[in-house]
Amino acid sequence: MARAATKEKTDTKTDTKTSPKTSLATPWNVIVHDDPVTLQNYVTKVFKKVFGYSDSKANRLMMEVHKKGRSIVWTGAREQAEMYAQKLQAHHLLTSLEKVET
Amino acid sequence: MSMWAARVDEGFIFGDLTPAAVETLKGVPMLIESSDSRVRDRLLPETCSKEEDEEHWREHAVPELERLFLSRAQLVRRDLGALRKIPDTSNSVLLVPHEHVNAWLAALNAARLALFALNDMTAEHLEVEGFDKATPKQQEAILRLDMMAEMQAVMLGDDEFDDEDISFDDFIID
Repeated sequence: MARAATKEKTDTKTDTKTSPKTSLATPWNVIVHDDPVTLQNYVTKVFKKVFGYSDSKANRLMMEVHKKGRSIVWTGAREQAEMYAQKLQAHHLLTSLEKVET
Repeated sequence: MSMWAARVDEGFIFGDLTPAAVETLKGVPMLIESSDSRVRDRLLPETCSKEEDEEHWREHAVPELERLFLSRAQLVRRDLGALRKIPDTSNSVLLVPHEHVNAWLAALNAARLALFALNDMTAEHLEVEGFDKATPKQQEAILRLDMMAEMQAVMLGDDEFDDEDISFDDFIID
């Protein structure tokens, strides 16, 4: 990450346009899938703990997982998406990652 | 199983654990550490659809998860090592210290998922009518799943407690 920042600074000297490579990185979705074993309250608790979501948002996402079979619980840069997915799997929520289709 | 639970200054106490309940709990670390592919596939699931992304995930994220699961199994084992016998009965009392609650919640979840996978169960088995349709081995697994879910519910705060100022020592009976 430090290297990308340095390159961006250098680029601005010769070209004020933002490089598509640095500005348009494809976002990734963190997806949680339903499983019949994990308790609903536990899923809500994990969403609150991992993302800092409010009780109502965490509960809404949990219900979406339960009713629709999956829910996109976070979208953003790949590195952070991987970190979140790892934290969710640390609590054994069935989690996958997908690149957002553009 | 006639388990009861109480919240005390030090954490949560689970009392009147029968030998069968203790056996279930002693199975928790073993289930987490299981090398059975059905358990590993669930606890460390395929995460990315593209092969190169999945390889990256396996290389960077999975080893840390494996270490975390093993350390959790050790912590559960240590707490189980401190089980106290209730005199004149075959039952025991377990203390889950407050600082271990999150680890226990995750460990119990892992063990329940592992049991589910190892017994070829489906969501139907967990319905009220599912018990009668299950094989004897699956029925035993369902009882264990339910018992661990009860413990999770207690620690998640589903059950209400009186806010009495009580301590684990109040329950020491040996």
